[in-house]
Amino acid sequence: MDIVTQVLSGVFALGPVAAMLGASILGVFIGALPGLNPVMAIALLLPLTYSMEPLVALGMVAGIYNGSMYGGAIPAILLRIPGTPAAIATTFDGYPMAQRGEAARALKIACWSSALGGTASAIALMTIGPILARATLAFGPAEYFWIAMFGMASIGVLVGSDAAKGLMAATLGLLLGTVGLDQLSGAARFTFDQVWLLSGLDLIVILVGLYALPPVIALAESADLKGLSAAQLKLEPAKVPWSEIRGFVPTWIRSSLIGIGVGILPGAGGNIAAFLSYNAAKSASDDPDSFGKGNPAGVAAAECGNNADNAASMIPALTLGIPGNVVAALVLGALLIHGLQPGPQLFHQNPSLVGGFMVQMLLTSLLILAVGGAAATKVFAQVQRLPGVLLVPTILVLMAVGVYVINGRIVDLWIMFAAGLAGYVFEKVNVPLAPIVLGLILGPMAEQNVRRALLISRGDVTELVTRPISAVIALATLGLILLPILSAISRRRRRA
Amino acid sequence: MERRQDIVLGTVFAALGIFAAVKAAAYSGASGTYPMVLGLVLSGFGLLVAGRGVVRGRAEPRPLTNHTGRVFITVAIGAVYLAIVPILGFYTASALVVLALPVALGFRQPVLLALATAVFIGIVWAVFSIVLEKPLPTEFRQTF
Repeated sequence: MDIVTQVLSGVFALGPVAAMLGASILGVFIGALPGLNPVMAIALLLPLTYSMEPLVALGMVAGIYNGSMYGGAIPAILLRIPGTPAAIATTFDGYPMAQRGEAARALKIACWSSALGGTASAIALMTIGPILARATLAFGPAEYFWIAMFGMASIGVLVGSDAAKGLMAATLGLLLGTVGLDQLSGAARFTFDQVWLLSGLDLIVILVGLYALPPVIALAESADLKGLSAAQLKLEPAKVPWSEIRGFVPTWIRSSLIGIGVGILPGAGGNIAAFLSYNAAKSASDDPDSFGKGNPAGVAAAECGNNADNAASMIPALTLGIPGNVVAALVLGALLIHGLQPGPQLFHQNPSLVGGFMVQMLLTSLLILAVGGAAATKVFAQVQRLPGVLLVPTILVLMAVGVYVINGRIVDLWIMFAAGLAGYVFEKVNVPLAPIVLGLILGPMAEQNVRRALLISRGDVTELVTRPISAVIALATLGLILLPILSAISRRRRRA
Repeated sequence: MERRQDIVLGTVFAALGIFAAVKAAAYSGASGTYPMVLGLVLSGFGLLVAGRGVVRGRAEPRPLTNHTGRVFITVAIGAVYLAIVPILGFYTASALVVLALPVALGFRQPVLLALATAVFIGIVWAVFSIVLEKPLPTEFRQTF
């Protein structure tokens, strides 16, 4: 009971409440702007959270995440332009509804569906997370090492379209994580006699570069000089009757379960959850042909599914240190900023903070209903009148100021810039960015634990795979790495 | 294009991995073993990607940019911005880049641009210098 009081008093303090509210509003704005996405927004936000209380920082992350996932539905419905990749499925029925003059109704359904999906996901996080965390009490250094390896392999293999490039990116991330002083022996590695490299590459500097610069360059490439006209963004008032809302309940339950399932799986994201939910709603419908032509259930399924992925993706992130998606990887980064090591120990060492973050994921899901109402959505839609080219330098300046304030070093700006250019090229040649970030996050944990395990076993390498739990995780990791090879062989056999 | 890109990409990663492994081999004891193994694994994946590109890469076009001119302008002005921040100070350099980059990309509404710049720089100043009290690179005029 004491921990519950502690969590609630922390979450409902003035700072975290203001952070959640402000970030939810900002999140809807960001989601509503095509070209900006929650990953970029959270990457830009992270440098600012250094000097904040952890629950204020995490409340902002939760608000931006949940808010932007709903915000993505606004341009998806009004313009058939998904504000975030997860809102692609929302365009299928949302835009035809808007063309029929039912944009406000579609947005209202999207708002309710997002809020309910997010709430279900947060409840899953609050119930499954602690159980999984308790199961990890039996873990030693060898198990922690294999958990890190499993996380790397799963993100490397499952994110992106090419497993070899994913694993290559993961290894690059692990290697970048070794730059600086070795924490066990104190030896300087890959520092090239530069004092500023002794503390290693700053995770947030790399994160901001990798995730914020490529979309800025993409915005510049599209060179939107005008923005949208007021007429294009006009919304007629609409009411959604309770009888119709009740009809969505089976869709919401189904989509929530799908979203939660997808969220827990490492590598899958909100877009997959939305597509699966949409297809499930279509299959279960009495009138599947109406999907894609403006069926409100299609909007409800897609929006509920993509928001149900949000908090669920934090389950493996917070309990095992394996993020379910890129935003979860950024949350791990936010925890590291505040000196908290993501992974199994987190629940045991900082229960009030983890509990507080879970409650914040729940509250910010519900806040969508408050900040995403009809009037608010009308206001948010107006941000699309802003010409895209004005956003390009403003985001660049925000990146620079955010990165500079971390360490007060100009060299960090250049590292960010180089990381961003590399990220832009990597995206173009199908090298996923998430494994690089995960390598930077999990690399030190993997190295310290494997060396600790070998010290305990006096150099006996077999000890890493002979303990029952570590053997299981090692086999699962190997299976994951072999998965693309095995599936390629089976594809070739079928063709022959 | 795809084939050539993969061969270049794989070769670059393989070279990076070998360089890291050689460098790490010089580090004492266990602190060198881990990065050395990672370097070798990285070069292995690099060779795999490059080799695959040689054997079964396709020659379909996959351009690195959608509009090379605009990418070049953005990257060049971005680099100039970072270079002048320590010289001119954060706010002056930022105001210049917020004005210059949209114009370079074809934006021709000076009043809107000036207004947007003033509002944006004002917000950044209020948040970072007033509310958060973060020290930023000093303005050049303050040194006189």
